[in-house]
Amino acid sequence: MFDYNFHWRPVLKSFPDLIQAGFVTLEIASLAMLLGIVIGLCLALMRINMKGPLKWFAVTWIEIARNTPALFQLFFFGFGLGAFGINLSPFTIILTGLSFNCAGYLAENFRGGFQAIPVMQINSARCLGMNSWQAYTRIVIPQVLRIVYYPITNQMVWAVLMSSLGMLVGFKELSGETQFFASKTFRVFEYFAVAAVIYYVIVKIVLGASRLLAMRLFRY
Amino acid sequence: MKKIITALLSIAALNSVTVTADTLDDVADRGTLRCGVVLDFPPIGYRDANNEPAGFDVDYCHDLAKSLEVDVKIMPLTWSERLPVIATGRADVVFGGTSDSLARARTVGFSIPYAIYYSQGVVNSKSNITSIDDIRGKRVAAALGTLPEQEWLKIAAKWGEENLYQSYQSENEVFLAVAQGKADIGLTTNTAIKPITQQYANLEAGPRMPWVADYTSIVGKRQDVTWLNYLNLFVTHQVRSGRYQELWDKYVGSDAPDLRIPGVMY
Repeated sequence: MFDYNFHWRPVLKSFPDLIQAGFVTLEIASLAMLLGIVIGLCLALMRINMKGPLKWFAVTWIEIARNTPALFQLFFFGFGLGAFGINLSPFTIILTGLSFNCAGYLAENFRGGFQAIPVMQINSARCLGMNSWQAYTRIVIPQVLRIVYYPITNQMVWAVLMSSLGMLVGFKELSGETQFFASKTFRVFEYFAVAAVIYYVIVKIVLGASRLLAMRLFRY
Repeated sequence: MKKIITALLSIAALNSVTVTADTLDDVADRGTLRCGVVLDFPPIGYRDANNEPAGFDVDYCHDLAKSLEVDVKIMPLTWSERLPVIATGRADVVFGGTSDSLARARTVGFSIPYAIYYSQGVVNSKSNITSIDDIRGKRVAAALGTLPEQEWLKIAAKWGEENLYQSYQSENEVFLAVAQGKADIGLTTNTAIKPITQQYANLEAGPRMPWVADYTSIVGKRQDVTWLNYLNLFVTHQVRSGRYQELWDKYVGSDAPDLRIPGVMY
């Protein structure tokens, strides 16, 4: 039998702290995504265009990032590297872990994007006198970013939600802060309900912002 | 008229015998005590070599069930599950180093204290920490939501060193972090020091923490006073029968702390 009376007042009192932690969540997810996009783009290009060790490096990264649980990856950067005497701060652990994971997923998105661009366009660009760098940065990548824009948004949502694993490696973001207060007062249901709402709002803001950005970027 | 009076009287009589069943009745009726324990707290709650729940708290579950003449179902819990299992009625009682803070007492019911701990640091042998002041400028770790964490954050705030504090999901990760050198000192309870320093070669017992002793109580439903009364009586019986000292000696290996609070009668 559920015999419990909800008290919302203590939760409202610590609401500013929870919001603060929400910003930490958003910050870590955004940084991880930025790194993930840059690395993912490189990995995709390495996988498509390179041969030998560089290609295999990219393939290995993508395979590991996509086929193992994100939690294991975090533990690897935390306690796994720690076993070899390499100690990263909790912030660095969650940032490297999330970026590693995001880069793997995004690389595959980018690969899909690159393959959607007809080879003819590159040939035409080269015929017009562009070198390879110019052809990629001016013709191919802008179109790829456009194609993979929505999958990237999806990954951003994923990064926000996955950052909650940070509390397992000692990083206090929204979930960690929630658990801290819940444990202090034992008002577990109230705190987690409010945290869920905050996560929802964060994701809504991310999606809204990306839609606005898309309207600006893809006007024509 | 007579009929009406009889009817009224019988209603009154019925009302007077209507009582709600409490947990004590439920457990006796069910024949099983559902007992939550935290197994992240050696040697009070842990898993033995056969991966079976063991420790001081687990034995207390068995003793409580025995006192009620029912079977026991041990429910392994994480720290944060302690409240939900009580609120939703999945467990009748929770043992598990639960500090009886007044903030928590507004949510759950506590028995009188059944075990007392004090907070102590476990340090990396390279950290050179022997006193509280040595901790200045060092990285401190504790388990999320525990009493050591809450007390330490007060000191850290005074020192302006909150950024050097790390909180982990469980005590096991705290010890691992200190052993690997991610943190210089882990805050835990005095009882955990012995098994942990035996498990990790580079961990040593650190200084005792300056805050008050950690009084821990058995957790039940706040509304269920009859059940909490029974638990109080159980705690006193464990002491009177010598079982408390016996189990403390078995798991912690020293004189059991006096459960009496000097100057307080309860």
